[in-house]
Amino acid sequence: MKKKYGARRYLAETLYLPRRILDLEDAVMENRQLNRRLAELTDILAELLVPATERDEERLGVLLEKYRNESLAP
Amino acid sequence: MAAELTKLRSLHGEPAVCLIGSEPVPFAVTERHLLVPHGERGPVAVRFDGSYVWSFAAARDGSWRPRGWKVPWPDALRRRLQGTTMVALASADQVRFEAPVTFGGNSDPLRLVDRRGHRLAVDSAGHLTRVFSETDQVMRDQIVEATRTALADLRAAGFDAHLSYGCLLGAVRNGAMIGHDSDADLAYLSKYTLPSQVISESYAMERALRQRGWMMVRMSNADLKLLYPLPDGRKVHIDVFGAFEVGKTFYQLGSRSGVLPRSALTPASTVTLEGVELAAPADPEAVLAFLYGPGWRTPDPAFQSDDPPGGQRRIQGWMRGFRDDVISWNEFFRDRHGDVPWKQSEFASWVESRLGPDEPIADIGCGTGRDAAWFTRRGRQVLAYDVSGAALRQTRRRMARNGAEGTQARTLALHDRRSALVAGAELARTAQPVNLYARQLINCLDDEALDHLFLLASMAVRRGGSLFLEFSTGRRGSLAPHQLMSRVDPAKVVAGIEARGGVIDDLQVGPSSGFLGEADPRVARIVAHWPHPRTQRVTHMTEATR
Repeated sequence: MKKKYGARRYLAETLYLPRRILDLEDAVMENRQLNRRLAELTDILAELLVPATERDEERLGVLLEKYRNESLAP
Repeated sequence: MAAELTKLRSLHGEPAVCLIGSEPVPFAVTERHLLVPHGERGPVAVRFDGSYVWSFAAARDGSWRPRGWKVPWPDALRRRLQGTTMVALASADQVRFEAPVTFGGNSDPLRLVDRRGHRLAVDSAGHLTRVFSETDQVMRDQIVEATRTALADLRAAGFDAHLSYGCLLGAVRNGAMIGHDSDADLAYLSKYTLPSQVISESYAMERALRQRGWMMVRMSNADLKLLYPLPDGRKVHIDVFGAFEVGKTFYQLGSRSGVLPRSALTPASTVTLEGVELAAPADPEAVLAFLYGPGWRTPDPAFQSDDPPGGQRRIQGWMRGFRDDVISWNEFFRDRHGDVPWKQSEFASWVESRLGPDEPIADIGCGTGRDAAWFTRRGRQVLAYDVSGAALRQTRRRMARNGAEGTQARTLALHDRRSALVAGAELARTAQPVNLYARQLINCLDDEALDHLFLLASMAVRRGGSLFLEFSTGRRGSLAPHQLMSRVDPAKVVAGIEARGGVIDDLQVGPSSGFLGEADPRVARIVAHWPHPRTQRVTHMTEATR
C-alpha cells in the first residue's frame, strides 16, 4: 500500500534528500572498500598463514621473509 | 605600459614582473601566476630559455578574472622559481609572449635542473621531472628497452599487457615518444570482473615481477610503478595500469570508464615505438579514442581527461580509497631531508630513560633515521620501518655508520593491511620482545592506517614491551610538511589502542618539538602495552575456577 505523507513530512523528506544521497554515497564507498579488505586477507591467508598451520617454525621464518620480499617491498 | 602595470598590480595585489602587448588584454607573467586572454582556450606551452617546462589550459587550470584567465604556477614549479630566465608562452605553435622575468628578486640565471644537471619540466601528473624531450636518443632507446622488457616479463607471466596512454599515442601518431611525457605507460586487461579478484591479481603480478628482479612502488590496488635504473642514475618509471570490466562498463586506471568492447583490447596487436615493435591493444585507434576522446590525433600537451564522476568514484572506492603519500614522502626525503634536525629528538631521550639496558626497539616511521641511529649508537638492537624508500636508504646509511649490522630498515606501508600483518609477525618473532617507537607518525596516518598500526602493535608487543607514541595535537597551527601531516586528538588515539586490546599506561600533553624541530606547544606522549591473550584467558579461567 502506498504510504501517504502530509505536506510537512513530504517537505522534510524532500529537503533531506541531498543529505541522504551523501550518506548513501558514503555507505556505497565503504562497501566498495571491502573488496580490498577481502583481497588483502585472502592473499596473506593463501601465501602465509595456511603454511603456518603446519607449525614449522623454521619454514615459517623463511616464508615470512619470502612473502615480504616478493609481495610487498624489502 | 605604466598604466598596464598599475592595473595589473591592483587586480592581483602583487607587483607585476613583466607585461607586454596592449589593450584589450595582453599575456602577462608574475611571480605567482600567469595572465592569459579570455579567448585563449587551447593548450599553452611555457618555455624557460627555450626549454619546455610546463603546459596548461587556461580555462581548466586558471580562474576567470575580468581581464583574463589567472593561472597559478604549479606547486612543483613554484618552489624552484628563483632567478632570471627568458619566459616564452606559446599556443598553436605561435610565441605569444617572450620576455626576461626575474623571480624572487634574484638576478642569477634560473636553473631548473636536477642534481646531475639534467633539465626538468612539469609532467602531466604535476611532478617536476625529466621529460622525454630533454632526453637524448641513446636514453630514449634505453627507455624503450625498459618498456620492452617490462612488457615481455608481464606477458611471460600470463598478463595480457600492452602499450597504453602516452606511449601508445606517440607510437600510433608518429612512432616516437611524446616530448612532454616522462613515464612509459602500460596497461593490462584483467582476467577478472570482480574488483576483489582484480586486486588479488595485481598482488600476484607484483610477486611475479619482483621474482624477475623488478623494483616497484604500488600506486593503488590495480596499478604499479616499475622503476628501471638507467646508467645516468635516473630511473625510468613504467606505470602498469589495470583495466577490467564490471558489468557492462570498462574501467582503466587512472580514472577512465565507459564502453569499450574487449575485442578492442585483446588479442594484442603490435605497434612500433622508436623503431621497436611492442605489444599494443587489438584496435589501438579505438583504445586511443576511448582514452583521449575523438580528437586524439591532435597533439595537446595540456590534455586532461574529463572522466565520468560515477566511474571515478567506483575506481576510487575499489582500487584506492586510502591515503597513500609515498611519492610525496619520497620527494620530501630526497629533496628536503636537510630540514629535519640531525641530532636525536627529545622524545628519543625520554623513551631511552624508560627502557631496560638491553631492550630492543622498533622505530616505526623512522624518517631520516635520526632516532634509530641514536638508539643504535646507544648499543640497542634497532629495527626501523618506513613507507618511503628514500627515508629507508638514509636510515640504513646512518644505522650502519653507528654500528648496526645486516638489514635493519624495512618497508612498512601502514595503509596496506598485509604490510602491517607481516611487520607484526616479524616483530612478534624476534628473540626478545621489542618496544615500538613512533614519533610524529600518528600525524601522517588516516583512520585505517592508524588502526593497522595498533593491529601491528597488538601482535608485536603482546609478549612484553610497550608502544611509545609522540604526536602533535591541539587545534591550532598547521604542521610541516603541509598536506602530509595533521594534528590528532589524543582521545582518538586512546580509543584506537583500546579497541585493539591495548592498555594506556601514560598520557601527557605539553610543549615539545615538531617534525622539523620547530617548537610545538601541544605535543602528546602515550605509553601503552598489550596483555598477552593467553595470560588473559588463563587469568579468566582461574577466576572462574575459584
